[in-house]
Amino acid sequence: MNQLHFPILSFITFWPLLGVFILLFINRKNETAIRIVTFVFMLIDFLVSTLLYFYFDPTTWQPQFVDKIPWISSLGMNYYLGIDGLSLFLVILTTFLSVVGQFSTWSAIKEKVKEFNIVFLLLLTGMLGVFESLDAFLFYVFWEFELIPMYLMIGIWGGPHRVFATMKFFLYTFAGSVFMLVAIMATYFLFHHYTGTYTFDMFQLASHPLPHHLQFWLFLAFFLAFAIKVPMFPFHTWLPWAHVEAPTAGSVLLAGVLLKMGTYGFLRFNLPMFPSMTHALGILVIVLAITGIFYGAVVAMVQPDWKKLVAYSSVSHLGYAMLGMFALNSQGMEGSIMEMINHGVSTGALFLMVGILYERRHTRLFSEYGGIAAIMPRYAVLAGVVTLSSLGLPGTNGFISEFLCLIGAFKANIWYGIVVAGGAVVSAVYLLMMFQKVFYVKTRNVKNLGLKDLDLRETVYMGICVLGILWIGLYPNPLLSRMHVSVEHLLQHVNSYSKQITINVDKNLTCNKLAKINVISRGGL
Amino acid sequence: MISYSLADFKPIVPELVLLFFTFLILFVDFAIPKAKKKINGFIALIGVVITFVVVLSLYGSSWTGFNDMIVFDKASGFVNVVLLLTAFVAILMSLDFIKREEINFGEYYEILLFSLVAMQVFGSTYNLIVMFLAVETLSIAMYILTAIKRNGLRSTEAAMKYFILGSFASSFLILGIALIYGLFGTVDLLRTKELLTGADTLHTWIAIVSFVLILVGFGFKIAAFPFHAWTPDVYEGAITPISAFMSIAPKAASFMALMRLLVVGMFPIQVEWTKLLWVIAVFTMFFGNLVALWQKDLKRLLGYSSIAHAGYMLVGITAANSLGYGAVLFYLFGYIFMNLGAFSVAEYISKKDVEGCLIDDLRGMGYKYPLTGAAMLVFMFSLAGVPPTVGFVGKYYLFSAAVKSHLYWLAVLGVINSAISAYFYLNIIVTMYMKGGAKEEVVSFPSPYLRAAIAIGAVGTILFGVAPGSVLNAALSSIVF
Repeated sequence: MNQLHFPILSFITFWPLLGVFILLFINRKNETAIRIVTFVFMLIDFLVSTLLYFYFDPTTWQPQFVDKIPWISSLGMNYYLGIDGLSLFLVILTTFLSVVGQFSTWSAIKEKVKEFNIVFLLLLTGMLGVFESLDAFLFYVFWEFELIPMYLMIGIWGGPHRVFATMKFFLYTFAGSVFMLVAIMATYFLFHHYTGTYTFDMFQLASHPLPHHLQFWLFLAFFLAFAIKVPMFPFHTWLPWAHVEAPTAGSVLLAGVLLKMGTYGFLRFNLPMFPSMTHALGILVIVLAITGIFYGAVVAMVQPDWKKLVAYSSVSHLGYAMLGMFALNSQGMEGSIMEMINHGVSTGALFLMVGILYERRHTRLFSEYGGIAAIMPRYAVLAGVVTLSSLGLPGTNGFISEFLCLIGAFKANIWYGIVVAGGAVVSAVYLLMMFQKVFYVKTRNVKNLGLKDLDLRETVYMGICVLGILWIGLYPNPLLSRMHVSVEHLLQHVNSYSKQITINVDKNLTCNKLAKINVISRGGL
Repeated sequence: MISYSLADFKPIVPELVLLFFTFLILFVDFAIPKAKKKINGFIALIGVVITFVVVLSLYGSSWTGFNDMIVFDKASGFVNVVLLLTAFVAILMSLDFIKREEINFGEYYEILLFSLVAMQVFGSTYNLIVMFLAVETLSIAMYILTAIKRNGLRSTEAAMKYFILGSFASSFLILGIALIYGLFGTVDLLRTKELLTGADTLHTWIAIVSFVLILVGFGFKIAAFPFHAWTPDVYEGAITPISAFMSIAPKAASFMALMRLLVVGMFPIQVEWTKLLWVIAVFTMFFGNLVALWQKDLKRLLGYSSIAHAGYMLVGITAANSLGYGAVLFYLFGYIFMNLGAFSVAEYISKKDVEGCLIDDLRGMGYKYPLTGAAMLVFMFSLAGVPPTVGFVGKYYLFSAAVKSHLYWLAVLGVINSAISAYFYLNIIVTMYMKGGAKEEVVSFPSPYLRAAIAIGAVGTILFGVAPGSVLNAALSSIVF
């Protein structure tokens, strides 16, 4: 279905490539022109992508704005783009954060400006492709392709340990995703074995899940790829390195968009394609998610480096998203998707905050700062809102998503909820400590005294982030209503397979322990 | 009584066309002065192009000749395309290079084309004796080309190693062929298949032994573990265009011949050979990739990487289904662009009279030569198997063929290798873009033909990565045996 009768998704995906082409003909010395051209291209991309929001039909779970062209038809591969309620906001988030991120680099990136903007535009194409692909093969192509620009961005414009960080980032993700590749192949052939069709269409693959016993390894292979990307504890070790070493815009995109590819992957592959294994292994994911919530928060508390704190806070926040998703009820899952979007906006804004101060002082250590609130009042106000949204204060976006995730957890199992509610307290602790160390305590360093407050450009991009935070926080309904039908459809699909297991359990008392625990835990629903 | 008619010559038309140009060079070479030896190169180039056109126009027809000793089918057509493209790029790489290195003898192109004719024959026969003759002809040509830089120490050493190990491998090959002949009284693979199908246990076992012996000979040509030892030395020692040529053309012909041997002749013992190839493929991939991790020299690294890539292609054969065989052909096709491209870049920064090329010499190259650097980046990502490049598509089909045959572990080990290899390919990109400035100025070898070779590589790598459809369908439909 394509209500616009115009290949809008292809347009927003490949529009940045036109920008790359134009940049090639601009003299590298003319840095302002390069920045403006890139910015304009990204802005147009964002504006066009907002059409998706307005024309989106919230009453159907079917893919919308579909572009489908046979690609390698003999093998069932299609160039197949489309979005539904699960991916709509991730697409808009991607274009939004790209504009904001690029705007923040006007002063931050001073070397190799042309290359940087080319890489940035390529990254945008790759990221959009991941969220829009509905063909598993095409998805994988974009999924891997997007690694290249991010790898270059960290490796060329990053901090002192950039080479180590970027190698770790690439190899970790690549190693995880090659297993996914094998799993995609296996799903493709097994699906043909059971249904007689060769297809990579994700919706079609999900419509007839494979028999339960075949799902185990496939689920794990996809799990590994996505868990590394999210990153879930204990696969998170690449993340602090990559986040800290990346340039500010890189961190924004990495946290805001790339991590969401992992959570989105769970929604698109693990849940719908392996529903009975989702029930059987869901508890493992939940345990890892809860561990991640606490682990990320506790480790963040003791970081001396501001950016590292934000990086670890991502581990914690994405734990909520995973928990909500595997709670397998509508509140939890909508909370999970909201958490993806909110984490993108809030943590993206947090990284921008760090970047603004880093540009002025070239350090990120808390011990260097203090008392900034008095020196840079405008900055402090905006940063305060961002911090509060990240810890989930009512009225900000973070509250909506964490609250929904918590309800979901409570509904799934009261103990999840009780444990995780404690996690919310811990995250308040480290974020407030962070804010205090930077803004309130006495100035520790005289160098801070002469710092300039935000200029117009910085105010604009931080202000827009804050507007986003408040908008979602005060009036989340337009978002929730657009994802509702898709979420319900997915849940209905996944939960229809839990009954099958229950029957198996009744018949076969020697079934494995995991499934048993799981069925018991679902009994309360 | 053996009699020939004109129809017998149909399947060897491409070979004949190329042979004509080969002899043309031989005669023209007498007539031109030493300063103008480049003309030979252009004749070779034209010859390759014309043969290419001839092959394309004949593609799709199916002929046999000389009592079934030689065939022209879609598969040999496809391999011809691969061989001629490789030769085309290799000649582009040579045109200025051999002049700089002061080895612009007429024999150079002469022997190159001779070896090419031998490879064409190698890929287009079901007859073991013809295979042996072809393999010997191409080997001798390759020995000479390796040693073409007569006063280069590395070059002569490499040729010597290559020659001794190669002769050793050939003796195994001929022993295997002799055993087959002793068993069945034929050297024709189609006939062997029939006889082997109904053979008793003893005959089957002797056939397996002979298969193993023949595999030694083939394994040497495709540089499969444990017959790979010559590869790094020869790739490093030979002049760069020859290393590049050698990394694809002989392998393409050998893979084709290997497929004919396995899929046709040895079909009745498929269960046995898949087991053996499984082991060889895994060891080849791991050996190539693990040793490549510690390489400091770019050409040596590409040598080990080509061992690993032979391993990937063996995965496709081990899968023993038509998707796998087609994938091998497609991979060979894609491998032309990425690997020749990488060798071209190695040549681009090479210094006169220095055979090797240190990875460290690439420092800062990404900024000094942005286009060449970007091309190298594409080649490295393609060799590592990252989309949207042809290397990814090729690897995808190789491994998915293994999955199709339920060889899940083989596919998993394959992708693990892919991940390992990403480290050293990326390391090159790190050197080019991320490791501070050059220790000394990066030198370059400004040859327009070399630039064309790099451009062909880069365009091909991306083009066939994004739109692999037509070539892939051709490769898949080539497998009709």
